[in-house]
Amino acid sequence: MSRTRFGLAGAALALTLGVTGCSAGEGVDVDGAGPSGASAGGVLTAAIGGEPDQLDPHRTSAYYSFQVLENVYDTLVEPDANLEMKPALATGWTTSQDQLTWTFTLREGVTFSDGSALDAEDVVYSFNRIISEKLNAAYRFATVKTVTAANPTTVVVTLSAPTPNLLANLGGFKGLAIVDKANVESGKVKTAPVGSGPFTVAGYTSGDSIKLVRNDRYWGTKPKLDGVTFTFVKDPTVALQNLRGGEVQWTDNLPPQQVPALREGDDPTVRSVPSTDYWYLALNQARKPYGDVNVRRAVAFALDREAITKAAKFGLATVNQTAIPKDSAYYYEYAPYQRNTDQARQLLQQAGANGLTMDLMVTSEYPETVTAAQVIAAQLKEVGITVKIRTLDFAQWLDEQDKGNFDAFMLGWLGNIDPDEFYYAQHHSGGAFNFHGYRNATVDRLLDQARTETDQAARKQQYEQAAKQIVDDASYIYLYNPDVAQGWSKRVSGYEVRTDRAIRFRDVALAR
Amino acid sequence: MGRFVIRRLLQSGVVLLGVTLVVFLLLQLVPGDPVRVALGTRFDPQTYEALRARAGLDRPLVVQYLSYVGNALTGDLGVSFRSGRPVTSIVLERLPATLSLAVTAVVFATLVAFPLGVLSALRSGSPLDHAARVFSQFGVSVPDFWMGIMFILLFAGVLGWLPPSGYVALTDDPLGWASHVVLPAVTVGLVTASILTRFIRSAVLEVLSEDYVRTAEAKGLRTRVVVLRHVLRNALIPVVTVVAVQLASLLGGVIVIEVLFAWPGVGRLTYDAVQARDYPVLQGAVLLVAALFLLINLLVDVLYARLDPRITVR
Repeated sequence: MSRTRFGLAGAALALTLGVTGCSAGEGVDVDGAGPSGASAGGVLTAAIGGEPDQLDPHRTSAYYSFQVLENVYDTLVEPDANLEMKPALATGWTTSQDQLTWTFTLREGVTFSDGSALDAEDVVYSFNRIISEKLNAAYRFATVKTVTAANPTTVVVTLSAPTPNLLANLGGFKGLAIVDKANVESGKVKTAPVGSGPFTVAGYTSGDSIKLVRNDRYWGTKPKLDGVTFTFVKDPTVALQNLRGGEVQWTDNLPPQQVPALREGDDPTVRSVPSTDYWYLALNQARKPYGDVNVRRAVAFALDREAITKAAKFGLATVNQTAIPKDSAYYYEYAPYQRNTDQARQLLQQAGANGLTMDLMVTSEYPETVTAAQVIAAQLKEVGITVKIRTLDFAQWLDEQDKGNFDAFMLGWLGNIDPDEFYYAQHHSGGAFNFHGYRNATVDRLLDQARTETDQAARKQQYEQAAKQIVDDASYIYLYNPDVAQGWSKRVSGYEVRTDRAIRFRDVALAR
Repeated sequence: MGRFVIRRLLQSGVVLLGVTLVVFLLLQLVPGDPVRVALGTRFDPQTYEALRARAGLDRPLVVQYLSYVGNALTGDLGVSFRSGRPVTSIVLERLPATLSLAVTAVVFATLVAFPLGVLSALRSGSPLDHAARVFSQFGVSVPDFWMGIMFILLFAGVLGWLPPSGYVALTDDPLGWASHVVLPAVTVGLVTASILTRFIRSAVLEVLSEDYVRTAEAKGLRTRVVVLRHVLRNALIPVVTVVAVQLASLLGGVIVIEVLFAWPGVGRLTYDAVQARDYPVLQGAVLLVAALFLLINLLVDVLYARLDPRITVR
């Protein structure tokens, strides 16, 4: 999660926003190609909240990097506006009877921005690089046995187990980008990456900006913009001022408390859509008395999620007691906890946990956790739990989480798509992110089963059973799904906010 | 003089070595794991081990330190954990932005503080003196980030005279640079000016009460001559030190202001490096700042000898 992790995959969000011309290559008609028209090129300046750590798509985990790389690289397949996986570099794919062999057909005539051809060998090189060098996305290839090139336009992937979410794993975000071997081996990929996407990196001024120019060799509809310049503005007030003053034409770094009012106006245009992120409270089950399900349920009953959401997100979120958001195909409506202080007290009594003092760890990296913690503390006080809030910087926070040095923490998981990403690593007893020590044999079995279940209906049902148990056990106490809010100048047309927070400028035009 | 400079440079080398050791040891005490931060929350233990080994963090501390110092002697300050780029070039890239901001801020501060401090001392107790003291109290006590935001809202927002943030290299476009440097330099400069005003005022007041000033006045010299030849010349010596110290500390980067104004200087680099626990970059930035500090101190000592013939450097 985080400014850090940016994965996607496919929870189908019923978004009405269509991103035109992103999958195939047909032309998009834009009104008025004349000198006063919106399609007359120009360079769009976008303010993002921080600087990418590096531009090697396989090595970075920073969201700031992916904001830029989204416009530079392609993946085999990619999520559309509804987060369904659609053709990109691959035009089609077939699956063997036993679900263990996937054959991808590549688009012909694709080249990298430097003119060299992109063929099956490049796909094999890219995926094998991630696997053999154990790079960030390596875990997405857990079931992949081999990746081979049958011929220049055919890639064959063999698996050790059926993997229904393979497409999301291989193309959910630009961390799975198809890279150019020569560019990687020269080391230039860190600051001057070469991709096959709609734009290409033309300049990088450390600490200040990254300049992209249109890639005239792009296989899809040619971008209308001549280029995009990303500048790094950490302070949201300053970013908004830049947008209002016309120095930048797009930003996602808006002061959250001003977004509701900004959405009402039309200059700048500010839009928000529900995201696939979720934020939660976790109690350390390895510590007494949080191993007792009654104590965890007591906390769940003591919370008023509406109040927490209002304070932390200024209304820019939807309360949810499970992880997967409402618009997703895998949404499961289940909300057993309504605030009930009597019931909470009774459960605590039952557990013999009166006069409890709880250490709650939050991080200044995500200010919403700091704000929410104060509301949570006030609400728990009413049922006799004294909360001691510990605010740490993110590096220290991660350290404490890994060591299990906490009673409770609040954080979120960002950019999830497939239900496996929502639940497995967090709640399976052997899950890599099960820092809070949850163990339930039924949940383990269901999550293992659903992971390889190719029947969609059966898979959905398995995830619903697992979700119900997870919520009943209060493994995580789910709080809300936040919205993604972004703003742009009146001069910008053709931009749509995406639920997966991918920033795509390929269809954008800038009026003079 | 030449021998003095050489000896001081050698001493500086020892100090810098000490700086590397202290910074290295301090970083070991700071909680937080750079590899863990680089991977974010969604990481895989195998990926973690692989990255740790690539960064050389699995070696014993003594080996890590000695290899760092060994390489540093050849100008190689290692490779950033975050970006994989050489630290020497990362740090040097950021230097022009910080230098140009710091120098502009100090020039601005001196231009404001010098007349204000001197006049306020010469007319001690007058309305001007009171105004100057209120100004310097204000500058010292108002947080600079708040002042910065107010300036942005006023000059970039309401009036629309200046860009709210960003940076243009002086060598690329001097006018563009100037329009971008004004707000951050004034924000930083006001704080510095406040400190300098107070200091200059008290330095001048002190000299004014000296016997030789009374003597000069008694022998009938005009006030102008007394002030210029006797008061200012003598008051200048401690002032030079303070201006130099202010400059040196600004060269370390004004972290908050650089972050606020999206100014790509050493301060912002340091801030990001701390957040990411990017030890090599942090060490490089601290080393650079320490070196600049030593250099400025050396220059001040040499300057002293010029300003005051009683001081000689040996």
